[in-house]
Amino acid sequence: MAAPQSAVDFGGIRRPVGQLDAATALEPYPGPLNERLAAHLLRRAGFGGSPDEIRRFAGMSVNGAVTALVHYQSNMEPPPADDTYSGAMLLSQYGPRGLRAMTDDQRKEINKEIRANEFRSLRALQMWWVNRMLTTQAPLQEKMTLYFHGHFTTAALLKGISPALAFNQNQLFRAYALGNLRELTRNVSKDPAMLVYLDNATNLKSHPNENYARELMELFTLGVDNYSEEDVRNSARAWTGWRYSRFTEQAGFDPTFHDDGVKTFLGQTGNLNGDDIVNIIFAQPQCARFFANSFLSAFVYNDPEPQLVDGVANLLRRHNYELAPVMGTILRSNVFYSDRAYRSLVKSPAEFIVGTYKALGVAQADPAVIPALRNMGQELFYPPNVAGWPGGENWLTSDTMIARQNFLKRTVNSQTIAQSSWLRGMPLQSKNAADALVASLLQGDAAPASVFKLDGYLAGAGTSALAALSPENYDERVSGAAYLAMAMPAYQLS
Amino acid sequence: MKRSNFLLGTVSGLAVVASTDHVFAQALAQTPLPGLPGGQNRCLVLVNLNGGNDGLNCIVPHGISDYYRVRPSLAIPANDVLAIDAQVGFNPHMRSLKAMYDKGIVAVVQGVGYPNADHSHFRSSEIWQTGVPDRYEHTGWLGRYLDEAGLPDGDLFKGVAVSQVLPEVLVANRTDVPSISNLGGYGLLADRDPLARSAYSQQSRDKRLPFTSPYLAHVMEIEDHAQRTSEELPKLISGYKAQAQYPATPIGRSLALAAQIVGSNIGTKVLYVSHGSFDTHVSQFATQNNLLEQFSDAISAFYQDLAAHGNDRRVLTLTFSEFGRRIEENGARGTDHGEASPLFLIGGGVKGGVYGKLPDLSNTNMGNLAFSTDFRSVYATVLERWLGRPSEAVLGGSFAKLPVLG
Repeated sequence: MAAPQSAVDFGGIRRPVGQLDAATALEPYPGPLNERLAAHLLRRAGFGGSPDEIRRFAGMSVNGAVTALVHYQSNMEPPPADDTYSGAMLLSQYGPRGLRAMTDDQRKEINKEIRANEFRSLRALQMWWVNRMLTTQAPLQEKMTLYFHGHFTTAALLKGISPALAFNQNQLFRAYALGNLRELTRNVSKDPAMLVYLDNATNLKSHPNENYARELMELFTLGVDNYSEEDVRNSARAWTGWRYSRFTEQAGFDPTFHDDGVKTFLGQTGNLNGDDIVNIIFAQPQCARFFANSFLSAFVYNDPEPQLVDGVANLLRRHNYELAPVMGTILRSNVFYSDRAYRSLVKSPAEFIVGTYKALGVAQADPAVIPALRNMGQELFYPPNVAGWPGGENWLTSDTMIARQNFLKRTVNSQTIAQSSWLRGMPLQSKNAADALVASLLQGDAAPASVFKLDGYLAGAGTSALAALSPENYDERVSGAAYLAMAMPAYQLS
Repeated sequence: MKRSNFLLGTVSGLAVVASTDHVFAQALAQTPLPGLPGGQNRCLVLVNLNGGNDGLNCIVPHGISDYYRVRPSLAIPANDVLAIDAQVGFNPHMRSLKAMYDKGIVAVVQGVGYPNADHSHFRSSEIWQTGVPDRYEHTGWLGRYLDEAGLPDGDLFKGVAVSQVLPEVLVANRTDVPSISNLGGYGLLADRDPLARSAYSQQSRDKRLPFTSPYLAHVMEIEDHAQRTSEELPKLISGYKAQAQYPATPIGRSLALAAQIVGSNIGTKVLYVSHGSFDTHVSQFATQNNLLEQFSDAISAFYQDLAAHGNDRRVLTLTFSEFGRRIEENGARGTDHGEASPLFLIGGGVKGGVYGKLPDLSNTNMGNLAFSTDFRSVYATVLERWLGRPSEAVLGGSFAKLPVLG
């Protein structure tokens, strides 16, 4: 008996109210752009923008803006070598025999050194990625990398996955960000970090390990209930033979360990190997629907209607799973610019933090972003489990909301104001300042009553504690007001 | 999180509307037996052993020779097992819990599961947490309990998730449940400025916005709830002093906070804690033994602390895991996803012992242990015999109770 599919956002069904016009949904939005829609595009196709960037995009045509974002100049520049530490060099100095010959204490010392370096390196790698998201000229490349990072999940530091291995997988996503999805899936299946994380590196002909075979279908390509337990077992058999050495950090296929017998998988029979599994999966209509649903939920709105999913599924198949034309179509489409899609997603912690820096015009992330990301529930390179981050309202609990607001409070200080040319240049009239803050940070998406109170806060009206806004109290008052504006509900929403 | 629409699935929703009187009459007939302590202040602590705890290496069937045959490298030597009887015993790393078992306050229920077991972490965990195996349900079984238990509206801490996330089990239609991962971080910095505090408070209620969003109501609710709970909580619980040495592990810290909340008598009925990951596909021994030891030591400290404050009899702890694991080991000294497994009830009102059927290693479900106790029987027992509420409405059906709570 097939149980019904869970909602994609299993925190709750969050489709926007109203009707989809399925016939024209994916046709190009004629435009024009304005500041609200430009900010929306920049948030969805990247991590937001400064008021200047938003104004610049608002002046472009839809086609011009999307072309600029989709046809990015790829940035594959790696971080400093120190940020991508691997214990392999240390281990290979001794080799397997050397390590076995050691005492327990000696091995413990080596592991301690490796662990310490791994932690240090991972923090550095996380900082590097946050700054890359913040400063890149190709935000869509980083946004897609982040999407794939949460989709084809792997966790660093678990099971001996070094920062080096985690970074190499990250680069794979960066390289294929708008490339071919089938080829990305094929390559990530053979990626050393993935081989270790989901145990395909210990999936042997003599004793198959089903972990990768299951998650590849359940979480990565088809979704629950679209395959049988037999399919999982046969896929596991097909995926045997991939070996990984922690001494060399290299992975490769060894036929000795491969089960080359006949298998039946999703109705296809033969001496199937991993490549065949990928090909058969991508030949399933469900695969296109699964990815369509996932992309729409990540970039347009949650729980997309079946007709919309089918539309994007058709696009994926028509373009042979090339992502550039598919994402280009989505980002140009009527549904993307519709009221229903506007502010219809919850910002992930990475978007929230990077977006705040971008909005304020801060050039470099503070190291405090790492604990901030953790407290908001998104530790980069370390998803909570193989399903990644469920997103949507799962981002928002009392615990994580406190973390979000406290990050904002800490971030708006005089140093930030000093870095932000537009915050420095705010008018001294409290009403104009309130309007300017709400326009720049929220594109006007605030309740009139809240803006009125913000004006009052800036003016010091009705209290003896606050004097009128003046050059002397300016920094403190403006930073307090910027916090309040960003504490308004719209700011949590992309 | 609250919903403005009553979203309980259609079938059970109708059942509630149509048969309230019948259900209530049944509830009265099944009120807690006399002799159980507490009454008003009884509390449930739910521990999620996340990832799928291998039951066979947790409550070890050392008296069954098949166990040793199918797990050549992974079976726990009979001599090492902390024996309960000639058939089963605890994993050797669970000394503290075995000591509690010997005091009669631990019940082991064998073979718990549900029909047509799902092998996906997410779907199976969702089933255990929502209590509904045969369709998608949004609310959790304890969320539904909180909604209908008639608890005082103003109580902010009826249910508490000692975690960063809000688990599905505590998703409710009409009850806000705070997520509190640690006490130190649970406070809004801006609240120190009374003007900012007041403006923020208003902002989370100003409804006339120039846009719509499916998440808007939720954002505003959480902003408001976060402020109110973070203001109230320290005032209510900072007077509590722990009277036990908790292990310096995440579960130790979570249970210490749980004890603090329980011991401060703020109307909390349900607490949630998560421990794991038990997803031991590879090198099971190191991981599972370590996690079981951590759990065992933390629970022991928890009940010591509770006892020192006179609270041990009013706190029932229930563990669950999304599934057990495959009977045979795999090629990586681990086990893959399975089906039925044992769970624990510990503490208040528990009649210690082993309940349910011994695992049958010869009569398997494609290499998985078949279940013999439906998990909803455990829930029905806890709802009626501990929380004192009718179970049919919450569970959408009637399930045989177990005699674990007297």
